[in-house]
Order: sequence, then structure tokens, then C-alpha cells
Amino acid sequence: MEANPLDFAEGIPNLGIIISEIFVAESIIEDLKYVPTALWAMLETLQMAFIGTVIGVVIGLPLSMLSARNLNSKFVYAPTRALLAIIRTFPSILWALLFVIMVGLGPYAGVLAIVMYTIGFVTKLQYESIETIDSDPMDAVSSIGVSKFQLIRYVVLPESASHLLGQILYMFDYNVRQTSILGIVGAGGIGFFIINYIKFFEYGKAAIFMLIVLITVLAIDWVSVKIRDKYIIKSQHGMEIKPKKSIFS
Amino acid sequence: MAKNPPFSLISTSKIIQMNDVWTSYDSKSYALEGVNLSIDRGTNYAIVGQSGSGKSTLLKLMNGMMIPSKGIIKIDYLTPNMNNKKFKKMMHTIGYIPQSLGLVKNISVLDNILIGALPRLNKIQSILKQFPENEIQEAKSILKLVGLSGKESRKAYMLSGGEKRRVAIARALMQKPTILLADEIVSELDHVTSREIMDLILDAQKKMNLTAIMVHHDMQLALEYANRVAVIKEGQKILEIGVEGDKIVDFQTGDMSIEQIMEMHNTDTKK
Repeated sequence: MEANPLDFAEGIPNLGIIISEIFVAESIIEDLKYVPTALWAMLETLQMAFIGTVIGVVIGLPLSMLSARNLNSKFVYAPTRALLAIIRTFPSILWALLFVIMVGLGPYAGVLAIVMYTIGFVTKLQYESIETIDSDPMDAVSSIGVSKFQLIRYVVLPESASHLLGQILYMFDYNVRQTSILGIVGAGGIGFFIINYIKFFEYGKAAIFMLIVLITVLAIDWVSVKIRDKYIIKSQHGMEIKPKKSIFS
Repeated sequence: MAKNPPFSLISTSKIIQMNDVWTSYDSKSYALEGVNLSIDRGTNYAIVGQSGSGKSTLLKLMNGMMIPSKGIIKIDYLTPNMNNKKFKKMMHTIGYIPQSLGLVKNISVLDNILIGALPRLNKIQSILKQFPENEIQEAKSILKLVGLSGKESRKAYMLSGGEKRRVAIARALMQKPTILLADEIVSELDHVTSREIMDLILDAQKKMNLTAIMVHHDMQLALEYANRVAVIKEGQKILEIGVEGDKIVDFQTGDMSIEQIMEMHNTDTKK
């Protein structure tokens, strides 16, 4: 692989050209007219990420139960894990490409890609947290002679629920970022606009769309931190978290 | 090692019978080495020994969670076997409280207790988490019995050490048990609380006419509450005594006073 630092240094002025093109006063006003379009595209992206995450978690949760070593024999968890490892091998953009070929251009292919990606990752996160559950309640409840389903329903799920909520939030957060670029291969969402504007050298418009992505991602990040503080940390540590007092009070 | 009578001669009133039982965790060394034990129905039985002597292992054999490497075990005349439907049904009525108590910490006290009723639920009730009204009432009356009324909706992780033990006892009682197994349930508790917990078990044992088998670290406590005490050392039963009030009844040891037994246990522990 060739990597010459000089090439990088010579490329810096190009960045300057792009930035100067973005900040031309007349074109900024012209580009701002695209904000509503960008917001609609972002909304579509959020919908895709949300639907993909929900379906992925619904399918992934039973698979994570089958992959946990402390719940199953080798004959069950080994093949399930192998299947999940294959699913995880493909990045979401490759899944999107595959589904665009299968179901055509548009958000449907994007949702399917997010579903596959979510299954691969949420299952791994979840079975790892199931395996760290304290074995004592599982042993104590198993000794009553309950069924495997009852053990999962009454011990495993409540004990891993706080992790699960955190993982779903993390996955949604991550999927919003992923969905933003799936448009590059024609799988819907805001990325479709961004890549086309860049292709036609309309950097100003592309910048408006990217700014919307940035603001949305930061907002989701902020909301998920709030949810985490309010519900997850409390249940994981078994204590009440008191809201911090304002320094002005 | 004292040779016990063959199985056919053992009395039918025995709820637990072990004959020359050996168990191993790693197939290199044995946790139990040829233990013989028989426990009468309705007894309050105590197993005493040092850490690592094999007393917890002995308890796990009594609810079928462990299978011996060698020897015969009969629990209410059944050989423990998870694949045997009859034995699996019997497991529903063996209350087991591990040393760590095994509570589900993120659910409420009432939900923890209702776990004891799970074997009586059908599939749909299990999925929907719909316990029949009579089971909920039963759980509430047990809650009252163990002195936790008004705390049913509290999460298990919020409870004190003594309260957690009460919940674990309540869950076991919810099983409508014939046998109650408890592993060092009062260790780490202060003197007063541990007596309260022991009184509670004694009370439940009399009311429900069950056989209580409890592992203890403390010989004094065992002598105070049990009708019979077995002392385990390095995987072997070295002593078994019967207790009637202040009197120690000759069983395997000849006539000994409580002081002599205590002295013997203490020297044993020091060794």
C-alpha cells in the first residue's frame, strides 16, 4: 500500500475549495430552501432505523436465548452462533446492496439491511450478557423443576432486561448513523440525497443534509444518555439515582 | 468406616437414604467419600462441617441437582433422575435455598415468592404470567407468615440480608414442600436475626409437617434447633448424634455430653 504524506498535504487546498463553495452567501440562502426536504429525508431515515431495530431485536432475542451457553447444549448454541457469525461478517452496506438487488431501490431494502445487521449484533451483545447472569438464581429456580421456558421468562429475562434496554438504545443510535449512508447504494434515506449532491458537485446542498444528520445524531445521543441515566444505571446497580442539583440552586 | 445395613433393611419411614455415596467434581478427587445417611420423615436434620468438607454437595444430592459418581440415593424411595417424570414431579416439592439464596434481584418480593408456584401453572398462564387468584392469596399469606407483609412490591435487591432470607424461605414454602433444604441460611447474620430466621423455619416445619435439612457452620446452632446432627469432615460423615432437648441421645458416638461434642467439634475445626 502506498501512502505518501505529501499527497495528503497537497490535498488540503481542495478541502478549502469545497468549504469556500459551501459558504458562498447567495448559495447558502438558496441551499437553505432544501432544509424541509432534508428533514423529510431524515425522518425517513429515522423510520427505517427504528423499524429495522425493532424487527431485528424481535428476531434476535429468541436467537440470543438459543446462543447462550448457560441455557443450551453445544448442539444448539454452536450452530446458532455459527449462523450469527456469518450474518455479522457482512457490513450493513453490503446487506443493503444485496437487498437492493433482491427487492429493488428504496427504503425497503434499507430496512432489511438494518434488520440483518441488528440481528447479528444485538444477539451477540445479548447472549454475552445472558452468560454473565448470576448462576445462583438460575440454579435455585431450576431445582424446583421448572421448564426451560419458565426459567427464561421468570429469571433470565428480568435479570438481563436492563442490559437489553441499553443494547436496544445503542443499536438504534448506531443504526441511525448506518441508515444515513445506506442511500449510497440506493437503499433509501438521507444518504441517497447526500451522495447525489456530492456526485454533481453541489457541496452546499450536501452540507445542509449532512448538518441535519449531525444534529439528529447528537440529539439521539443526548436522549439515550438521559434514558440510560434514568432507567438503566439504576436497575443495574440496584440503587436510586438522584438527579444532580443545578449549580445555580 | 461403619458398615450400614443393606438397603432392604432400611426403614420405610426414611425420606432420604444414602448408601456408600461418592461424588466428584473433577474426576480426580472426591468431594464425598462413602457417605451413609438416612433421614426420618418430619425430622429437623442438621449437617455441620468446615468449609469444603462436602456439606453443600450433600445437599445438592438431595434435590437431584447432582448425581453421585458411586453409591445409591433414594429420595422418598425414588432414585434422582431428571429424565424420570415421577422424580421431576417430586422436585416441585423439594424447597432448596442455596447459600447465596438465589433470588431474582430485579423482580418484586411477591414475584420471587410466586416462582415457587410455577410448576402448578399451565403453559398459557406461564407465558402471560397469570397466576390464579388462590396462588396469589397463598403467596400473600406466606408473606405474612415470614413477616414481610407490606413489602410485596419491593424489588429483591432493595432488601436487607435478613429480609432476603425470609423471601427465599417464602419461595420454598410456596412450593408446598415435603422437604426443605437450606444451605447455611443464617451465616453472616447477627445472633438475633439468625435466631429469628431459625425460629421461622422451625415454625413452618411444624405447621407444614415437612422435613427440614439444614447445613450449618455453627455446631451450637445445630444442636439448638435440630433433632439430629451429622458432622462431615473431608467428605466423610464422622459423627451423627440425636438431640432431645438438652440431652444428646446415643446414636453412633456412645454417651457424650453437649460439652464433649462441642469440644470434639472445636478440636476438629482447629485441626
